[in-house]
Amino acid sequence: MSVTSVLDQLRLDHRFRDRIAHIEFLPPREARYGNLNPPLPEELEAYLSTKKIRLYVHQTRAIEAIRRKDHLILTTATASGKTLAFNLPIFERMIAEKAATALYLYPTKALTNDQQKAIRELEAFTGLHTGASVYDGDTAAHQRPEIRARSRIILSNPYELHYILPWHYKWSTFFRNLQFVVIDEAHRYRGIFGSHFAHLIRRLRRICNLYGSSPQFILASATLANPEEFGHRLTGVPCNLVDEDASPHGRKYFIFYNPYFDGKGDRSVLQETKEVFLSCIKGGLQTLCFTGSRRLTELISRWSRDEAMRTFPFYSNQIAAYRAGYLPEERRRIENRLKEGLIQGVVSTNALELGMNIGSLDAVIISGFPGTLISTWQQAGRSGRGVDDSLAMLIGFQNPLDQYFMQHPQAFFAGSMEHAIVDQTNPYIATGHLLCAAAELPIQPERDHPYLGDSLQMLPLLQDCHLIRETPRGWIYAGKGRAVDAVPLGTLSADTFRVMCEGTLLETMDKNQAFREGHQGAILFHKGETYLVRELDLEAKVIRVKEADVDYYTEALRSTDLTVLEEENEIFFSDFSLHFGEVEVVEQYTGYRIIRGNSVISHAFLDLPPLRFKTKALWFTLPERTIHRLENECGELDGGLHGAEHVLIGVMPFFVMCDRWDLGGLSAPHFPSTGAPTIFVYDGCEGGIGLTEKACEMIAPILETGYSLVRDCPCEEGCPACIYSPKCGNENHPLNKKGTCILLEDLSAIIQGERSTTTPECAPLVVNIDQ
Amino acid sequence: MDLPSTPFVPAIALRWQRNVSDLREYQVIRDGNVFQSGLSHSTIFSSEFERAQQLKEQLALEYHDKNVEEVFSGEEVGMESGSAFCICSQHEIRNPPPLHGTDEQILSDLTLIHGIGPVTAQRLKNRGYRTIRDLLQHPKYRKNAAYLLSHVEKKAAYFLMEWIGRRHPKSHPLNLAVAGSIEKEGFSFLDIETLGIFSRPIILLGLAHWQNNRVHIRQYLLRDIDEEPAALEAAFSHLHKSTAFVTFNGKSFDIPYLQERAAYYRMSFPNEVVHFDLLHFSRRRWRDVFPNCRLQTLERSLFGIERELDIPSALVPEFYEAFLTTGSPGLLLPIVEHNRQDVLSLVHLFYLLLEESECQ
Repeated sequence: MSVTSVLDQLRLDHRFRDRIAHIEFLPPREARYGNLNPPLPEELEAYLSTKKIRLYVHQTRAIEAIRRKDHLILTTATASGKTLAFNLPIFERMIAEKAATALYLYPTKALTNDQQKAIRELEAFTGLHTGASVYDGDTAAHQRPEIRARSRIILSNPYELHYILPWHYKWSTFFRNLQFVVIDEAHRYRGIFGSHFAHLIRRLRRICNLYGSSPQFILASATLANPEEFGHRLTGVPCNLVDEDASPHGRKYFIFYNPYFDGKGDRSVLQETKEVFLSCIKGGLQTLCFTGSRRLTELISRWSRDEAMRTFPFYSNQIAAYRAGYLPEERRRIENRLKEGLIQGVVSTNALELGMNIGSLDAVIISGFPGTLISTWQQAGRSGRGVDDSLAMLIGFQNPLDQYFMQHPQAFFAGSMEHAIVDQTNPYIATGHLLCAAAELPIQPERDHPYLGDSLQMLPLLQDCHLIRETPRGWIYAGKGRAVDAVPLGTLSADTFRVMCEGTLLETMDKNQAFREGHQGAILFHKGETYLVRELDLEAKVIRVKEADVDYYTEALRSTDLTVLEEENEIFFSDFSLHFGEVEVVEQYTGYRIIRGNSVISHAFLDLPPLRFKTKALWFTLPERTIHRLENECGELDGGLHGAEHVLIGVMPFFVMCDRWDLGGLSAPHFPSTGAPTIFVYDGCEGGIGLTEKACEMIAPILETGYSLVRDCPCEEGCPACIYSPKCGNENHPLNKKGTCILLEDLSAIIQGERSTTTPECAPLVVNIDQ
Repeated sequence: MDLPSTPFVPAIALRWQRNVSDLREYQVIRDGNVFQSGLSHSTIFSSEFERAQQLKEQLALEYHDKNVEEVFSGEEVGMESGSAFCICSQHEIRNPPPLHGTDEQILSDLTLIHGIGPVTAQRLKNRGYRTIRDLLQHPKYRKNAAYLLSHVEKKAAYFLMEWIGRRHPKSHPLNLAVAGSIEKEGFSFLDIETLGIFSRPIILLGLAHWQNNRVHIRQYLLRDIDEEPAALEAAFSHLHKSTAFVTFNGKSFDIPYLQERAAYYRMSFPNEVVHFDLLHFSRRRWRDVFPNCRLQTLERSLFGIERELDIPSALVPEFYEAFLTTGSPGLLLPIVEHNRQDVLSLVHLFYLLLEESECQ
């Protein structure tokens, strides 16, 4: 069967019909080819002609930019030949300059291994021996000196580079000749991780400078709203943009599928996912299904196999799960069987959208909005072989963002991609990397300012803490251990809790997660098994669990308190003003609920110390007339205030590129220091990461989107699709939909009225919202 | 980055201080847990640990009102990067045995010539080619033999060490025979104490040299971290003059560490220097004789040396850090003494190994 017949079947079948919220037709596109002058060296041209490859315009443009020694960011679609576009000119340079070296950085180990294969193939064909090698945590100690000394292409990841830089002496030959740094899947380096990465790159550039090299940066990324700004912030150098995709593709049908079309949802979203997944497979389409977690991946693949076993056994062993934690050999086997057509359906976690070397399939199902348009399009890009028809489907979950897209598909299809945030000025992150830099090479402020920037001002304070010491040769690291160990790249929290079951380590969690999910009495899921937490040992940082076969789960209750430390900015509108500044948040886990099915069966108290952290927040108080309107029309303030806080946190990730769990909020009808009804939204990590700062600039479209979301929601009293929050510390109480609507309408109108004159830079991110 | 919000900024520094101070560099294990102690070098038995903690408190108290110069007799040496503090001592040691046989030892190993394996060597010996000198008459090996011979005569120690290293493992006693090509003043006996296993300051560099038939030990001690560049400069000035380094585990630790520190400060470190790492020779010689081949075990068993004021190496950083915070130089006593004894034992051990290899 073909894509169109599966589509027709979905449209006719009463089980699916009503749930199809939208079908977007993406027209096919013809290829546009380019020419290179001068042509590539003979051996590379021979490679292209043997492989029957003609270069697209975007590839020749990228090659020309690299030849000019420009820095480059390349943002064309999945499968448009980005890798070749930089591998060819890099090989060209390496053929001409016998000592030139290149560093390729990938966000995951799996990708590194795949790319090593691709480069070795090019080596074998051209006869240029670069000794391309993966160098990461898995590289055997006895192979390392040889690789350092001889390999001209090193494939690695940011975590490894973090540990390589202090050893620059051993890498001196490589760094001296370094001409290229390739940063693949660059869009992954955003938010906190991106800010760490930006500093890592500055440390790398400082070391290269020491050895007299100044490499070209080549970034390959998914489509972003701000590619040039992002590239510049990430690397510290201006990057040329090549973004016009000239590769061909076939017709694509993009379906929005809403299990909650009626505001209720008869079947769970998991069952719905399973149903459409099986329909595609039965329709003869090789299908890939992305889910939000390991648990869902396991459950959907298991349920699909079970049902296939009952209804069409032929397919039951052609369905596989594919997720992190599987051994590389297992994953290779699945990839190969897919390519050979022995597997019809694969269920995978979102996290693996890049780690998979399977080419393209007929259909992709995305179970739940993955959080960003970038990821959604990346995942949808997995369907479509050559110029054949293909299918992509987004299944909406029962949360405000997903429901917003289901109800406003144009916001998705016409909307621009997210901004990728990289905040290289975050003082916590900057200071951590300052310590690492000092351990790599004594810091000489004048020489190092281009790389270390204003964080150099921290040096005297760090000296007071005995972490840094000024010597006649510069400022040196004087702390204990290795600086790189004290500054983990992934997260700011160095507190790691171990989950232990009868002496076996199950997994690790950071402190917040431990308080939230690992408190005494909590139920933990791990590899499909359930465990009961016996003890959270704060001293030893251990969570002791035992296996427990239970049919309930737990949810911690949190209370949050907040103090404004310093107001840094105030944006005035006619009736109210938006504030931004530094706050201290104190979170306390006070208890937890035990839930079976959809009902809470009991409560328990917890006795845990408060978690304090300082961060950045935006806040505002309500204008008088809104207060009056609320009191008159709803008879109360609290529900509207609380609802508006939820809505803001729900839509903000779309504008500032983060997870909703990266943000926190607080609303109070009588906040002590403002003396008025106030809503706070703050960055969920220590020091802040620029999220609410960016939200201040985009407050107009955020309020506007929030308002239309609540207004257009078909529910009566509020629902998970609009004002309910999946992470509310107050059990979603009190909430008032009408009040929320009034509040957002008023604020939105105030800002709308002024936007054209006072804040011209606030261009709305979402265009064509249904009004 | 803006730094105006004063209450915030020290908090950042303190935050990293906390992260850094959480790093652990050794593990205290139950006495007698030999299995675990063998897995990693940075384990300390709990009784040793307790003893060291007591010593730390006692020394900090006893010397709290003294300064470094009162406790150690040393002199300041002015270097380009400031002044270094050098503690000197002289030691009467039985003069090293004259090493006449060493050239012959090398020359009698025919397998050093490319193309000659043990079987060919035996056949050649049966035919009357006893030494490499005899091979000058051999039509096939003549050229190679002459080349090696000329270097033996030139006493080209580094060349010979490399040459032998291509044929034999680094623990092979023939490597020791190269010592015969080196004047005794050309040796630097070397041991360093550091604040960690990698990329942290070297707080003490101990060097021993022959001078007028006595062994002079110089220990460059950092009175504060910022004296490291000067101390390295001072120590490197001796190393640049030497033909050979003698260390214990220096191939894995001391020399790479020094090279890394030199690269860190952009100083030049001598290369192409002969290096005798006594750990390898000792293991080969005494592996089956003593329970382990740690320097302390060897010196006790071979020379009857008992250390009095000693602490486990893994605790050196902690003692030094305690010195930095309390300012009591007493905490440096066990470090300096430990290092001096290490260097001295190196000298003894080296000549014992030389003697033994000659007797073979």
